[in-house]
Amino acid sequence: MSKALIELVRKNFPDAVLESHSQLGDDTLVLKPSSWKEVFRFLRDSQQSDMTMLTDLTAVDFPDRDPRFEVVAHLYSLSRGHRLRVKARVGDRDGETVEIDTLTDLWASANWLERECFDMMGVKFLGHPDLRRILLYPEFEGHPLRKDYPAEKIQPLLEYRDEPNTDKIAPFGVDEGMSFGRQTHKHGIQSDETN
Amino acid sequence: MPSFKLDDKDIPFEPGDTVIRAAHRVGVDVPHYCWHPGLSVAANCRMCLVEVMPPPGRPAMLLDVLAWDDLHQTYVPQKKPKLQPACQQAAADGMVVKSQTSEHAVKARSAVQELLLLNHPVDCPICDQAGECRLQDYWLEHQASKKRMHDEPVHKPKGVVFGPTIVYDAERCIMCTRCVRVSAELAKDPVLSMRERGNLNEITVAPGRQLDHDYTLMTEYVCPVGALTSSDFRFKARVWFLRSARSTCVGCATGCSSFSDFDPRNQKVYRYRPRENEAVNKFWMCDEGMLDYQRIHQHRVLAPLIQGESVSDSAALERAAELVKAASPQKTAILLSAEHSNEDNLALLDLGKALGALQIFYTGRAPGKGDDILMSEDKNPNVAGVLALSGGRAKPLADLASAIKDGKVGALVALGSAIGNPNDAGVLKEVRNFVALSTHEGPIASAAAVVLPASSWAEADGTFVNRQGLWQESDRAINPQGKSRPAFRWVQELAKLLSLSLPWKKVSELRSLSKGPTPPATTPSAPPPGAE
Amino acid sequence: MEPLDQDLDAAELELPTEPMLLNVGPAHPAMHGTVRIVMELSGEIIERCDVQVGYLHRGFEKMCERGTWTQVFPYVDRCNYVSPMLNNVGFALACEKLLGITVPDRCQWYRMILGELARISDHLTCTGAMAMELGAFTPFLWMIKGREMVWEIMEEETGARLTHSFGRVGGMASPPTDGFKEHVRAVVAHNVTIIDEVERLLLGNRIFLDRLENVGVISAADAISLGWTGPCLRAAGVPYDVRKAHPYLKYGEVDFDVPVGTTSDSFDRFMMRLAEIRQSARIIEQCLPRMADSGPINVDDPRVVLPPKNEVYSTIEGTIQHFKIVMEGLKLPAGEVYSYTEGGNGELGFYLVSDGSGTPHRVRIRPPCFLVTAGLERMITGQMMADVVPAFGSLNMIGGECDR
Repeated sequence: MSKALIELVRKNFPDAVLESHSQLGDDTLVLKPSSWKEVFRFLRDSQQSDMTMLTDLTAVDFPDRDPRFEVVAHLYSLSRGHRLRVKARVGDRDGETVEIDTLTDLWASANWLERECFDMMGVKFLGHPDLRRILLYPEFEGHPLRKDYPAEKIQPLLEYRDEPNTDKIAPFGVDEGMSFGRQTHKHGIQSDETN
Repeated sequence: MPSFKLDDKDIPFEPGDTVIRAAHRVGVDVPHYCWHPGLSVAANCRMCLVEVMPPPGRPAMLLDVLAWDDLHQTYVPQKKPKLQPACQQAAADGMVVKSQTSEHAVKARSAVQELLLLNHPVDCPICDQAGECRLQDYWLEHQASKKRMHDEPVHKPKGVVFGPTIVYDAERCIMCTRCVRVSAELAKDPVLSMRERGNLNEITVAPGRQLDHDYTLMTEYVCPVGALTSSDFRFKARVWFLRSARSTCVGCATGCSSFSDFDPRNQKVYRYRPRENEAVNKFWMCDEGMLDYQRIHQHRVLAPLIQGESVSDSAALERAAELVKAASPQKTAILLSAEHSNEDNLALLDLGKALGALQIFYTGRAPGKGDDILMSEDKNPNVAGVLALSGGRAKPLADLASAIKDGKVGALVALGSAIGNPNDAGVLKEVRNFVALSTHEGPIASAAAVVLPASSWAEADGTFVNRQGLWQESDRAINPQGKSRPAFRWVQELAKLLSLSLPWKKVSELRSLSKGPTPPATTPSAPPPGAE
Repeated sequence: MEPLDQDLDAAELELPTEPMLLNVGPAHPAMHGTVRIVMELSGEIIERCDVQVGYLHRGFEKMCERGTWTQVFPYVDRCNYVSPMLNNVGFALACEKLLGITVPDRCQWYRMILGELARISDHLTCTGAMAMELGAFTPFLWMIKGREMVWEIMEEETGARLTHSFGRVGGMASPPTDGFKEHVRAVVAHNVTIIDEVERLLLGNRIFLDRLENVGVISAADAISLGWTGPCLRAAGVPYDVRKAHPYLKYGEVDFDVPVGTTSDSFDRFMMRLAEIRQSARIIEQCLPRMADSGPINVDDPRVVLPPKNEVYSTIEGTIQHFKIVMEGLKLPAGEVYSYTEGGNGELGFYLVSDGSGTPHRVRIRPPCFLVTAGLERMITGQMMADVVPAFGSLNMIGGECDR
């Protein structure tokens, strides 16, 4: 369909492309993680590609491979109607340093997609403004979509938090999980005391 | 190297190879039932039929056949090439063979498969082979059509007991004679044979005999269908729920490569299967080894014990540390075990070094039956490993017994469960400060003041050195049972309590030390533990 | 009455003011499904807010990695549970793309009709609920009555109103029932009249219009950057519809329009869905005569399609075929595929990774309303508190699909 896209990227970033294939009409590029962001910036801004939309971003865990994770992004161009799948392989076998640049300053959709990817797979997006769990709660241990996370694993129960001036409050306080939460909460308690 | 072409792929071969063997060696599969790389050629299943193209300039060998013409509703004479079984066709340089690319071979295979299923009972739901059955696999790959014969199938005996380990179902049997050949060629006991002919054909045991040689389970293992089933595994598990770990059999010093098939849901090992290893066991394992998996779940020590009473981990560890501390280093002895992996033994050896203990002994299971096929008299998987790790300083159990009698042993830290000579069991009880790391109940666990439950070979990765001096790794299958932990973990905890430092911090470091930088070329010659 | 402090600057007020923290949801009747919005209010203006999803997370993708490919169908049902048939068909198409098979024509038309019916039920629910949240209870009942008719067709065809599990790789679970076409014709016609009536009821209502028009506006550029698709993106004037841009099934052979909005406000999104119901009705009318009354519904491929039950029980060939598909699972060739269809809320994508075994290595669902909900924060910041409910309602956030 749009093999030209692969050629375009190969021409402009000869060192960044590790491999490419077009299986079942899906064009795929595998990039070096270091050039992740610049290639995406190019794909968005170049007239020939004009990728207006970051449709999807996720990761796949291949526990036997090194690097272990594949971060997979799907791009779509509204004006040209073509799609491209871009991947980068990151992370060591232990899954401890899984890092890649964020795309949040290129597309707004990257914000939540990367948060989900971090939540489920433990991929850290460097430079993400608000990288916290999105589908799971902050106390969740581990990243459930990793292959070494047992599906039947039971998470520990959470303690009730001991807060001053209250009886008992549930683990999820009113401000829990908010990017600006802690500060507001303290503010609230202080005002409690002053009043 | 000479080579031939199989479906446009160049296959190199050695002189004397058949087509199927040469293809098998480079990982190209020609479908087959009766052929087995470790057995003689029977060429009776006809599944591996291939079309051998005539040499250039020579006419093809053609057969006159009648083909059904659907349009005219009649048979018309036709010619078709004579197909050859790939298992019997000797490979020749420059030969062109067509397997999947030959329409005649594809058609023939489909017909063979249809014939094999002609009288096959609808047994998949109750058959142990289901999920690893060649009939199922090949139906999808080579036939994939519906039944055309709707008459009552031929009925034959079901559930025939062949011997203590094997049950036979003649209806499922495809008469490939693999089991006959295993008995005759591997076990050298031709106890199986065929009787009757045509669709009444069935496998039978020689009159007055049972299928009871030492390799009976291999007949079940080679059976490509569900005709032979092992009475041990029968109706116990469905194979698609099992996962396999690459293990090494610890039943004797041969160290056959095997697969441990376990159910991850209940963390139980259900069977062993041989794993191909040209250097050690080729394709086979003995019955004793095949059933050795049972010990993983039988007579285990699953909780820490002080004087036979079950206690908490920390209480047992503290007591163990007290006992070890109470004796002077000169009077502290270490008892290694040839039942355990290099990792476990090395950890204990390092603890001994850190303690300053100078007396090192080793023991293991008593010797048993051996033969010149696979079974070794020495029933311990790791005598060579223990001797190599200790630099040959480990002395047999008899020396420990005399040292105890002489009052030279104040404290004893022992690994393992069995001892080579049952007469030494009483002497062991004389040691007061006796800490044991045992997997199983036995003389060591019952003599010890503190028993720490060690994990068995199936519950931790380990390295074993077999009688040929090969350092072989065995992978973990299941999680540690009960409150057991791998012995090196207990040693690590014990060292922490004794404030001793071991030369390794992480398990990965221990593992790389245990694998040995270069495997020693020859095994240190030493008598097996029981023979002293 | 004029406020007393009309000409006072806020800074001059003696009264100490501080932002008020307001927490809506997750258990709140207006928070469809379970979503939670934490807002910092200054008066009635939302200064900052944080939209929190995930309360309905059930580990969909993890569960998919434990069974066979066929066993994923019941899970996708529970993603977007107001139009489960669209998910069924979407997932089946993804698997078929990886397998390289195409279902028979009859099945394609059947899938289109069922899919468009599901879209109608999806839009009826969303618009009905939106009207109800603004106090218009009658249209809600009207529309739910229409939806119930659609679900009766579904029940007739699949045996279940909601969780059909009806899709199969290589076809559908069963062929259309005898009275299918007449049933569909009657229901679709009735639903179009319901839409007309609802429009008459609502569009002359001042309150209704005031609360939707020019509220919850988002620019087209923002919507694209946020990855919005479906009715919400089209309301912003971007005519992107997967059915039109990349036709699948037989969408290339039917005639329909892609309605677009102009102002991208809540009202546009409301009207967008009503217009799409009419387009769906148009598509269904064209599909019905073209769907054959007899013929195979499943592909003729023993690798993927189950044999008839009587053969399973009486012949070994049938047993083996059944066994291979049910126990080992149908084997999708190793590889990866991204397949996309137009779901109720936009581009419903499935990114499948197969390792060639019978169990999926990874099933990633690209949930359209996850990304739409991601834009809510941008949409309501600076707006009035009371506008959150209709604005949020117009996005049609489906908890099952958003949180998976």
